[in-house]
Amino acid sequence: MADGSDLLGLERARGAARVALGPDGKLLRLGQQGSAKAFLPRVHGPVPEVVFLNTSGGLTGGDRLSFAVDLAPGVSALATTQTAERAYASAGGEARVTVDLSLGAGATLDWLPQETILFDRSALSRRTTADLGPGARLMLAEAVVLGRAAMGERVAQTTLCDWREVRREGRPVFLEPLRLTRATLGAGPACLGPHRAVATLALVADGAEDALGPVRDLLSTLAEVEAAASGWDGRLIVRLMAADAFPLKRAMAAVVMATGRALPRVWQI
Amino acid sequence: MADATALLTLAQWLSPAFPVGGYAYSHGLEWAIAEGRVKDAEGLRAWLEGVLAEGSGRTDAILLVQALTVDPAEISELARALAPSRERLLETMEQGAAFSATTNALTGADWPAMPLPVAVGAAARSLEATPEEIAALYLQAFAGNLVQAGVRFLPLGQTEGQKVLAALRPLILRLAAEAAGASPSDLGSGALASDLAAMQHETMDVRIFRT
Repeated sequence: MADGSDLLGLERARGAARVALGPDGKLLRLGQQGSAKAFLPRVHGPVPEVVFLNTSGGLTGGDRLSFAVDLAPGVSALATTQTAERAYASAGGEARVTVDLSLGAGATLDWLPQETILFDRSALSRRTTADLGPGARLMLAEAVVLGRAAMGERVAQTTLCDWREVRREGRPVFLEPLRLTRATLGAGPACLGPHRAVATLALVADGAEDALGPVRDLLSTLAEVEAAASGWDGRLIVRLMAADAFPLKRAMAAVVMATGRALPRVWQI
Repeated sequence: MADATALLTLAQWLSPAFPVGGYAYSHGLEWAIAEGRVKDAEGLRAWLEGVLAEGSGRTDAILLVQALTVDPAEISELARALAPSRERLLETMEQGAAFSATTNALTGADWPAMPLPVAVGAAARSLEATPEEIAALYLQAFAGNLVQAGVRFLPLGQTEGQKVLAALRPLILRLAAEAAGASPSDLGSGALASDLAAMQHETMDVRIFRT
């Protein structure tokens, strides 16, 4: 569907999907309600892959969606979404999404959802919260795209509150509340500048900053993106901006691989 | 309204002469100037407007107001987690530590090293001034410091620099008023190019500023 107008008259969507993996890395619990689904495709890689899906086809005002991943101590997994999430124009109210990630001691999760596409007049409030036990390792990748440049879409108005919080043993260690409004879109060179696609990759793990050198070497070779990295105290943060989704996602994929990780099979680069 | 003692105290604490070393930090502006992203008075005003309204200015004002009433240790933790890069953390921690050390010596308080806006909020608890007034003075000091960085490295005279700062006054007043009524859940930033600039600064070959 080319835009969200045909969704506006529909009933508001509700969905919740929760996946728990036990100590053996096998599925322990799977909860699915409404428009939210989760599945574990058979993979040949070393870690299980969890794929979430919002079957409502996109988000609009009043929608409620939640995804959750719960990893037992020591378990490694990769989790993603089947498609880009689309936030369509809201006829009233905001769409609310929560993502809860829980990592037991020594667990490893790569949370690599596909990009979120914001359409004109969309209103989305998303809260991604990760709780890490001692020694747990999390990679978080979030990409937000304002319209689809290739389709000639221009976003003049949006309200995005995209709260990303990582806590270790209950204490906040990484907090990035991305806030985009009509004012941000017009706020000039310190904000988006000419870019319409932005991403953050955050690796929160003991020694995460050790990957800074190789990641910086990689970033210096990337075309069509502005990107930089910083690392300190168990954190490696990479920020990327581009004119459109494709070069951004291609660069994100390269960064993920440069840290020795696998890409979700559903990512189409 | 702030009483005269509070006004003079805040003017002292937030003066460029107060020994927090603000002149050493450009908040990524040095990179933006080196790259030609900020070239003149108009460019500097636009850059600072974004940093204030959509980035660290707004965030710091909210953190400062919270530290006036909420346990500063809790707000410090939030402020540290919000640091978008290593140098941004350094900038706020070093200045905050120096600010607490100096105000402790002046007031007899015993605040630990905390991020700058939290340190200012904690110290200002004893003053007869409104949260809005304290936040406005803080934001003006923050903007004034970056204007000075611009004056030093752009073809920009002192008077032009002061005009840029004066032009930011309505924005500063609006942000201070909003911060006074905000809660931690209102925190949020969209000054992404500024955050990226702060990261790019870390790898500049020749640099005058620490950030």
